[in-house]
Amino acid sequence: MSDGVVGIGYVELFAASALMLVAGLVSWKLELGQTRRIAVSSVRCFVQLLAAGFLLTYLFEYQTWWLVGLVLAAMVVAATQIATSRVKNRIPGLALSVFLSLLVSSTAIGFIVVEGVIHADPWYNARQVIPIVGMIMGNAMSSVAVAVDRLFSDLDARADEMFSLVALGAMPGEAAAPSLKAAIGAGMTPVLANMSAAGIVTFPGMMTGQLLAGADPVAAAKYQIVVMLMLSAANTVAIVMASYLTYRKRFAPDGYYLDKGLRG
Amino acid sequence: MALFSVEHLSVSYARDGHVVPLLRDVRFELAAGAVYDLVGPSGAGKSTLLRACALMMERASGELYLDGAPSSSFTPSEWRRRVCLVPQRASLVAGTVRDNLRLPWTLKVNAGERPPADEAFARLLALAELADVELGRDVSQLSGGQAARVALLRAFATRPAVMLLDEVDAALDDESACAIGRLTRALVDERTTCLRIRHRAADGFASGSFVLRDGRLSYADNPGVSGDAGCARGFDPADYAALRDLEAERPRAVGEGARP
Repeated sequence: MSDGVVGIGYVELFAASALMLVAGLVSWKLELGQTRRIAVSSVRCFVQLLAAGFLLTYLFEYQTWWLVGLVLAAMVVAATQIATSRVKNRIPGLALSVFLSLLVSSTAIGFIVVEGVIHADPWYNARQVIPIVGMIMGNAMSSVAVAVDRLFSDLDARADEMFSLVALGAMPGEAAAPSLKAAIGAGMTPVLANMSAAGIVTFPGMMTGQLLAGADPVAAAKYQIVVMLMLSAANTVAIVMASYLTYRKRFAPDGYYLDKGLRG
Repeated sequence: MALFSVEHLSVSYARDGHVVPLLRDVRFELAAGAVYDLVGPSGAGKSTLLRACALMMERASGELYLDGAPSSSFTPSEWRRRVCLVPQRASLVAGTVRDNLRLPWTLKVNAGERPPADEAFARLLALAELADVELGRDVSQLSGGQAARVALLRAFATRPAVMLLDEVDAALDDESACAIGRLTRALVDERTTCLRIRHRAADGFASGSFVLRDGRLSYADNPGVSGDAGCARGFDPADYAALRDLEAERPRAVGEGARP
């Protein structure tokens, strides 16, 4: 470990869990119905992050390109599962589209940053590849879930309008265009808002981590700028891909919208 | 030869996992220059029949012909450009009346065509008793009946060969409904036909009525078509000379737009 890192002992770690008890207690007392979710999420966060810590320790020591690739693949699968579970609409074939969008956006942008900006050595160095791709994918995952959910609720809301458009000879893409626009806009809002607030309202996680680890603030800022730009680039690629890959699933081969009555 | 014909059309749909037949082996023909009514109990599948004619419904079987050319020789959007369905709840897009009337010309299927001039649209609005609606008015300021007529005129302005009208006069007062009936009649010429679902009393424009019941279609000629009944009284095609403005908007002749 580098000299500046503040170590946390296991005693302190478990003591910090008491913070979560406050949330749980409030939820239980006020009967908010969130107690179970809070408990499950806390335990998941605890177990998953610790496991990741141990896994990464092993990975950094014995890394090979295929082992790194395997971890990345597992991350995309998990992100796909989480993103699709957040979409309320049932859409056949959604998982594959989301998987492809997350895979392409995260690995492409991730490797551009790792190789072109950070100059990792070796090129598959897990210490850079895993956190960078993970950060991108976590962001893209949330945005894709928001965008796809918005896309399908907007399409349903515009069913009558699209019926008129298609009856006049519109192609599915033309009928769906306003919904695609709204969905992509909704997906991009959080990351763009974060970019605008960065440094004034918030110190993003990565920069905070580096500052806590004793890094030079300007160096940490530079890193963070790269991170935010790549996050917004990957986000855009992911939500545009996911939206365009999925909207057609709500249209029949003949190009009319499958409204609720036709989905059976 | 009939302008539009349907052979062996069957449509069924899934409800709670069962396949329910709605239309069984329906066949009919629409001759150019005539207006037809489609009636039948609600739930009989009248709207479904129109949807199927516009290729907006899955068919279990059946082929559709326009001027002798099968629907399979068109792309769906080129077919719908010629066989235009105006739905019961036609909705307008946000914007002005002009934006909506010009909407069809923003679509790929009409790429390269120019929308009619404002004057042509204004005359069309006047023919539908909408002379007081300015082209620049925002559609949110239209009444329900006015919006329904703008949506209908939007389809009329593209001069489709087959007009499938699904209760387009449901939201209108008697006088406006009559105006729409007369305008429809005036648009139907030797290259056009029209099938209307209506629940109002006969207006004297239909040359025949189809009755859809239990999935089967029957037809009866309308003897009183000569034009003394209801809205047809005093109807003079010469009053609709303004429609010549839209002559250029007709889709290309059948075959020119067909798939290679």
